Parts: sequence; C-alpha cells; structure tokens
Amino acid sequence: MSEQHENLLKQFQTEMEAAKTTADVEALRVKYLGKKGEVTELLKGLGKLSIEERKATGAAINQIKTKIQSSIEESMKKLALQELDAKLKAEKPDHSMPGTYPNIGSLHPVTQVANEVINIFQAMGFFLTEGPEIEEEYYNFEALNVPKHHPARDMQDTFYLESDQVLRTQTSPMQVRTMEKIEPPLKMIALGKVYRCDYDITHSPMFHQMEGLVVGENISMSDLKGTLIAFVKEMFGKRAYRFRTSYFPFTEPSAEMDIQCIFCEGKGCKVCKGTGWMEILGCGMVNPKVFEAVKYDTEKYTGFAFGMGIERIAMLRYGINDIRLLFNSDTRFLKQF
Amino acid sequence: MKVLLSWLKDYIDINETPEKIAEALTMTGLEVEEIIQPGKNIKGVVVGKVLTKDAHPNSDHLSLCKVDIGKGEPLQIVCGAQNHKAGDVVPVAVLGAKLPSGFEITEAKIRGIDSYGMMCSKRELGLSEDHSGLYILPPDLPLGEDIVKALKLDEVIFEISVTANRGDALSHLGIARELSAIFNLPLKRDPLGDDSGDGNISDYIKIDIANNELCPRYGARLVLNIKVGPSPDWMKERLENVGIRSINNIVDITNYIMLDIGHPMHAFDYDKLAEKHIIVRNAKANEKMKTLDDAERTLEENMLVIADEQKAVAIAGVMGGLDTSVTENTKNVLFEAASFDTVTVRRTSKKLALQSDSSYRFERGTNIDNVPIALNAAAKFAKELAGGQPVRGICDVYPKPEILRQIKVRTKRLNKLVGINLTTAQIETYLLRFKFETRREGEDIVVSVPPYRHDITQEADVIEEVARLYGYNNIPETLPAVASSLQLPTALQKLEKRLKDHLVSNGFSELITYSFIPANVDSCFHEKKPLMLKNALSEEMKAMRTSLKWNMFDAIRRNVLNDEFNLKFFEIGKVFHTSVAGMSEEHTRLSVGFCGAQNCHDWHDSKKEFDLFTIKGFVQGIADLCKVKIRFAPSLNSIFHPTMQMDILLGKNPIGSFGQIHPNLLDNKKLPKSIFLVEIDLDKLAESIETAPRMKAIPEFPSIRRDLALLAPVTVAHRDIQKILVAEGGNLLEDCHLFDVYQGKGIQEGFRSLAYSLSFRDPKKTLTDNEVQPLVDKMVAKLDKAHQIKLR
Repeated sequence: MSEQHENLLKQFQTEMEAAKTTADVEALRVKYLGKKGEVTELLKGLGKLSIEERKATGAAINQIKTKIQSSIEESMKKLALQELDAKLKAEKPDHSMPGTYPNIGSLHPVTQVANEVINIFQAMGFFLTEGPEIEEEYYNFEALNVPKHHPARDMQDTFYLESDQVLRTQTSPMQVRTMEKIEPPLKMIALGKVYRCDYDITHSPMFHQMEGLVVGENISMSDLKGTLIAFVKEMFGKRAYRFRTSYFPFTEPSAEMDIQCIFCEGKGCKVCKGTGWMEILGCGMVNPKVFEAVKYDTEKYTGFAFGMGIERIAMLRYGINDIRLLFNSDTRFLKQF
Repeated sequence: MKVLLSWLKDYIDINETPEKIAEALTMTGLEVEEIIQPGKNIKGVVVGKVLTKDAHPNSDHLSLCKVDIGKGEPLQIVCGAQNHKAGDVVPVAVLGAKLPSGFEITEAKIRGIDSYGMMCSKRELGLSEDHSGLYILPPDLPLGEDIVKALKLDEVIFEISVTANRGDALSHLGIARELSAIFNLPLKRDPLGDDSGDGNISDYIKIDIANNELCPRYGARLVLNIKVGPSPDWMKERLENVGIRSINNIVDITNYIMLDIGHPMHAFDYDKLAEKHIIVRNAKANEKMKTLDDAERTLEENMLVIADEQKAVAIAGVMGGLDTSVTENTKNVLFEAASFDTVTVRRTSKKLALQSDSSYRFERGTNIDNVPIALNAAAKFAKELAGGQPVRGICDVYPKPEILRQIKVRTKRLNKLVGINLTTAQIETYLLRFKFETRREGEDIVVSVPPYRHDITQEADVIEEVARLYGYNNIPETLPAVASSLQLPTALQKLEKRLKDHLVSNGFSELITYSFIPANVDSCFHEKKPLMLKNALSEEMKAMRTSLKWNMFDAIRRNVLNDEFNLKFFEIGKVFHTSVAGMSEEHTRLSVGFCGAQNCHDWHDSKKEFDLFTIKGFVQGIADLCKVKIRFAPSLNSIFHPTMQMDILLGKNPIGSFGQIHPNLLDNKKLPKSIFLVEIDLDKLAESIETAPRMKAIPEFPSIRRDLALLAPVTVAHRDIQKILVAEGGNLLEDCHLFDVYQGKGIQEGFRSLAYSLSFRDPKKTLTDNEVQPLVDKMVAKLDKAHQIKLR
C-alpha cells in the first residue's frame, strides 16, 4: 500500500471518528465510495497503469475499499440504533394518564355468594335444579306437610295471587317437584327467589334461598352433619359449629346449624346478640310424610334436607347492614363488588 | 313467651345458672332469645329516705341532702335532680356501689362539698330510659334494704321462642317438664285444688255440646258470692313480669292458670247467662256478637260459639262476649275450661283477625286432661282470693274420652336414621325422662304419647325426642355413601352463566330487582295484563312483571336522580304471564340497560353516547356468543322511540327487542335522551343454541380486496346496496362490509357516501384482477341502474 493510499485511509478514519449521525456516515459513503468518490476515482485510475502495477495497486485499493465499506456499515448500524433509541425516547407519553379500556362490570353480591355455595355442593356431587316462582299451594305447603290451617303457616307470610296460586315462600317445593320426576338415589340443590310479606332492614319481600336434598338407602343424620360441616368449612373457614333442635314441618328430626360468630370469634357481640353463635341454616331428616306425598318407599329410603338464605350470608360476608340495598340497583353500591 | 325462673321452681328444683338453663333449652329446641335479669348488675344500692333537702351553697341547680339509709349517720349527698323532697324514699348508691353502666360510686367533692353516695334515677339503675328525676320508691320499703331485694329485681325472666309444633311448651309447667327431661330431675306439683264445695253443680248449670267434633270436652265450675277486686301482689307481680296486665282477681285467675299449666280459660258472669244453659254450637250465618274488646263481630256457620239459650256468649277458644263478661259487680262466676278443634279455632281467629293468648294456645293444641284441673284450680283461687264459695263438682261434658296414641319405635330404625348405636334399654330411658309410657315389644318399644304432645304422631317424631336428649352434637359426622343420579346443567343454566360472564367482562353491573312492580306504571311497560297479588305489601309491589323493562328503566332513573349518568346494567330474571288456561307461565329473560356515555373514562372521547347501532352491535355480539343467527326487523313498541327500535328474530320467531326509551317517558329533566333497553327471551335463545359447529377449511389461495366508495341517495338503505353487491359478486365474493359512512360538507344534499370493503376469493385457485374487475363493473352498473348510485 502506497503512502497515498494510507493517507486516504487515515483521512477516512479521522473523518469517520468525527461522524455523529447516520447522515454524516452517508456523506462519507458518498465521498469515498460514491460514483465520484475518492476510492472510486482511484479505481477508475487503474486503467492507466501497467498490468503488473494494476494488479498490485488494484489489490491495495480494494483492501482500502473493503475496510471503508465495513467501517461504514458498522457505524451505520450502530448510529441507526442510537438514533432510533433517541427517537423512541423522545416519544415518552404521560404515563400517569388513566387507561381508557371500558371498566369491568360486576356480578351482584347475591349471585357471587350463590355461585360459591353452588360450587361447593356441585363438587360434592349435587346437581342444581330450578322450579317455578309462582307455585301451587300444594307444592309450597301440603306436599311439605304443612296442611291448611296449620300454625306452621305463620312461619311464612305468604303472597297470594288472584289465581289462588302463591309466590313460593321457600325453595322446598323444588324438592317435591324433583322427587316426583327422579327416583333415588339423588343429591340435589335448588336455588331461587322466594317471597314473603315482610319488609324491614333485615327482611325483604323477595330474597334467595338455597335448598339441598339427599335421598338414598341408609342416609342418616350423621351424613347430614358431615355434609353440612364440610360445606361450612369451605364457605366460612374452619370454625366451631353446633346443631340445635328445631322445627320444620318437612323434616323430622329437625335442626338448625349455628357457626361461631364470624365477627367476634365467639366472644359475643352485637351481630350475634352476645351469644357468640350465628344461625346459618336449617336442616333435618326428610319427614316420611313428604316421601309419602311423592310416593317414595319410606321404609327403603331416608334422606336429609337443608336450606339457607343467600342474602344473609352475603350480608355477613360483605358487611351489608340493610338488606334493601341489595335490591335498590344503586350503582354506587353495586360497583363495590 | 316470657317464663319466670321462680315460677318454674314451683315445679322443679333446679339449681343450674340461668345461662346453663337457657343453653339447654335452646339446644333441645326451645330457643331462649333473651335472659332478662333486671337486678343483675346493680350492686350496693339500698333503700334510703331523704331527711333534708337544702340548696347547695355554690350552685343553683344542685341540692345538698341528708339521706337516712337505715344504719349509721345519715349520708350527706350532693344531688342534681329536682323532683325529690324531704321525706321521699329513693334508691341510694352508697360508696363502693356499682351501677349497670359500670359506674362505681366513690367519695366525691362536688362544687366544694363532700358527697358520700348517689341517689339514682330509673335509667341509672338500668330499669328504663326514664332519667327525668330520681326514682321515687313506695314509702313503706324498709330503709337500708338492698334495692334488688326490695324491688324484687332478682327475678330471672327467659324470653323463649316456642316453635309452632310445641303447644305443650306454652306454659310454666310445659317448660318445667322439658327441663325435667333435659336435666333428668323429678317434676313436682302441689295439688291445684279439688272439686269440693257446697251444693251440686248440676242444680245450677246445664251444658250441651251440639258439635262434638269441634268440641270434644267442655267443663264448667261455678263459684258463688265472689268479690271482684285487685289480685294479691304475688299474682300481679308474676303476671306483670311475663307481660300480662293485671285486670281483677277473677280475670287474673284465668290468665294465671293459662300461664301456669297452659290451659286457656274463660269466666262468665253466671247471672247474665240466659236460662243457665250452655250450648256449644256452630254460629248461625251472620250471627252477631260483641266481643270483650268492644267490637261487634259477624260470625259464620263454620265458627264455633258458646251460647246460652238466647245468644252467643263467646267465640269458642278465641274470645268471650262483652255482655256476659265479669265486671266489678259480678257476684257469681262460671269458669269455663274446654277443648276445641285446633283448625276451627285457627280459621275463626284468622277470619276475624282476632288473635288472643287463648286462640294461640288452642291452635297449637292443649291438654284435654287439664279441663278439670284448670277448673278446680280456678275454684280454689276464687275462694282464696275473691272470697267465693265454690259449688261442688264440675259440669264436665266429655262424651268420647280420648285414647292415647300408641307409636312403635324400632331400635334398628332409630339407630339407622340418626346414625348412632343405642340399645333398646337406653332408648327407653330417654323416653321415660319425657314421661312417656313405654312397653317393650322384642327389640322395639311401643310408646303411649301423653295427651299434650300433639306434635308426636309418628315414629320419626319419637326418634327426634330421643335424638335431642341424646344431643345432636354427640351424633357422629359422616358423608353420605350415595352417588346421585346424573343431572347435567340445562342449556338455560349454561347460557345464563355464559351471558353473565360476558356482560360483566364488558362492563355491565348485574341487578336483582323485585318481581312485583307498581300496578299503575305506564301501560307500555306491561306486555300483557299482569297477574296481581291479592295481598300486596303496597300498591308499588302489586303487579307481577310481564317484562323486565320497567325495572331496568326504574333502576336507571333512580341512579340518574343520584347524579349517576353513565350506566350499563343487566338483569336476568323471570317474567310472569297468564297462560290460556288461566294459570301462570314463567319465562327467563335478559334485560340490558344503557345510559349516557359509552365510555365516560375514555379521555379520547368521553362524550360519545350510546346510539341505536352500538346497541344493535351489542345484540349481534350476544348472538355471536351463542352461535345463533339472528335477524333484525322493524318494530313498533310504544315504550321506544318510534324509529329508534328493532325487533330481534331467531328464524321467524321474535325473541326480543331493543330501542331508545320514548322521550315521553323521560319524566325528569335530568334523564338523558340516550337511554336504551334490550330485552331477550333466554328460554327461546337457549333452545336454539348450536352445540358443535363443523370446521371449515382455511383458504389455500389468496384473496383480492377492493374498496368501493359510493355516492347514494339517502333514501337508499344499506341493505339494498349490500343485496346488489352480494348478488353481483356471486360465489367469488367472500365478504362485503360497510366501513365508512359520510354525509355533510363536500357531499351533495340528499346524498351520502358509503364505502364498502369487498373481498373475493376462489377456493380452487389464485384469482386475478381480470376475473374480479368484471364483477365490480357489474356491481357498479347495477347500482347505478337500480338506485342512481355513482362511484365517488
């Protein structure tokens, strides 16, 4: 390589070091490698040389050209990346501005609790059934061992329709309807709206109940206890419970299940009226009179049933102090769940 | 029902704490709702007498008193109350005393004067809310006596909730009987009287029961020459402690016996009974009688009355008549104790809207054997408390004595049903604690049910008695060893779940609203004539909804009035229709409500309101989610804006509609115009949901896209243009959709610009422009010819 060539390369390298942008590099490319570039001009001058000289000089010029070329490519790549980076960084938005995708909605708290209860019982092999909200008196009362003019009717103030049908006061009619259709063994739950003439901060004329029924051979009260204890543990966590004697016309023996108060852990507070317990569900062994009404063999089959109010659980769970809030459709309330 | 511990002790020597007793009753089925112990938290308060009352030297409103508490020097007490004077007897909390509020009395200096105690108001003693002044006591109380003793505040009162099946527990005897079984203690009972007296009852009264079905037993006892007056204090106190007002000695006797042994009674003024002949008979149609509460009652033939030869004198088991009732002038009293048909008493009491302590007990069943016991007790009390002379004997009409129910309990069955393992002997022990008579039959036991246990009619009932004494909490816990028959979720259940997830994800909040709505809502909200409640709580909750639209509009309306303007709600619920046969039909529907801005949180465009096409797209989305093909058709629902609404068709059947609320219905200025409702019948939608779609092959060859910008008269519908594009495009046209609409500046009046994106594809080969262009040309020509539509 001649001195001239070396100087050219040095000159390029000096200029390259000074290049700060892709445009600078591009200018260098034109200056050295362009149609009238310095290296190009050198190559053009080769024709004037002898064959031997041409060979040696040609090789030398090509060497320079390759060096310049790769140097330009490398710088180009590097500077392009730098420039892109600078450009992207300049695009910085105000990250504190809110997102604009539509907000998510909300399932009603009653639905959320009902879903949870249903999931637990479905995992235990229960199926979910439904039934009419306007019921025949027979299904709501007589078939459940509540004859007309029985004081047990006072337990539930009933809405009557002009057709002499009733708004079901409990989900239990669905037990009867299911048993009329399906032979044992069966494990069912039924969920739905029920209606009673009652209206204050703890009573709504419409609320939701969940009802359960298990019928088979050798079903006992110990099975009832085991099932409900398993449910309560899943729903409320491990806590103390107790079963008290109670009365429901459609079960015998009948019981109510209490759990340790979830607010005071059993110490006694306003919510549990100082007892340390809160009533969570009613239950019992199916009264043989109910089996007779659906023509099940009362000697062969036994069963248990239970029922609970969904609103009550929702109110406990979310700390809702007035049941009417659940049905007021107030978005300021609903959006919280 | 209130029950006194001291009264229970007439029957049972029980020394458990009130808390233990309450828990035991609660666990075995008689829930104790409250234990009332008025004196429980009063310590160190005694009876004192104000000797002097002087002005406090340093205060206008305080007084300086000297109070005698029966021992030592009178106490100097500074007092803020105004209502007392020297000589008054008052409760005095001495140094060291503790009041229910937790306040402890210590020596104090009040405005410079030492005070050695405090005189108390009723509120300070926790006896009532009265804090108007000191509690001025009766003057005869012994000074220095503990106030709890002096005022008998040491009583323990249980408030018990008795379930509808336990008529036998509606008395002190009933509760004592229960405690005797629970704690395995003997039940004692002093004789309540006998039938001794002068003369012979049959000379004084004749009784006939005309309807023995409704009145199996009727008994009467006569007491002559009584003096009506106040009851003794012990009886008054017991009655008042259980919440019964003392009237006079005769009325109090009947109430006392009812609360004691559970048998309701009635007392007649014997001299007012015509012909001294009692007839128990059905009322005559429209027979009138004035009851004790001074109300004229019109009776019906299926009601039972007690009558004399002229008139009805009492409604059997419900209430006595005013004309023959005991007054302060009554000389001779005829006590009644009877047994009446439970259903008749209940029906009568409901029909007359007249519930009494008597009807409450008769409805739930009384003890027929108590008839003579109650009458003899009444005679004994009338003699002791009213100076009367009982006539010997009871006029007791009991033609068909009841035979005790016999129920067989099988040891095996009991153990199987409860899940325990008791021997026959153990079971028998439990039953004997309930005073049931038992007889062994091999491994089984035959039980004679006492006449007061109306709730025990079958084996399961006896099993419950054993189980509750055994203790529910001692029963083991197992899981049922049965696999249920398989019942999968219904199509509707699956659809509901899917829709709820979809809607919540898309920003809708779920509502649950009442199934009954006001009857007088605008008629456009009732799809059909609604079913009406006979006994609605109010006019606002009277009509069973035939559609969910009123509830949704009402929800939006009420939120807007709370200044919540941007709303997205949904509800899934039932509507109620009358079927052809006059019975009710129920359908599950989805209701969706939109109000205000589409996305008020989107600062790109927070003002953009809902419009008909957002809603139409939303409905299409529901259909796509369910994989069903729907169509939209013009509709005319009066609830909606006449042109801003459509029906939704599935095949040929309408399954719902949507639209903008008619501006007429916007009855408040705050309500925005852009309120849209959607309602879809989910029963019908669920029926049509396709199960598994067949896969279509993914195209192998590329498509060719063309955009067409058209200038069309506004009178030409998009549907008509699309029809032509589809028809002319033939099999090769794969997709054709509208992507831009413009009307306004730059476009001639009466025209709009519509831009369509067309996509052509041949499934078998790569298409060329040469094949597509003629199709496009045909489209353009046809559009021009049919509707004068030009390319832009």
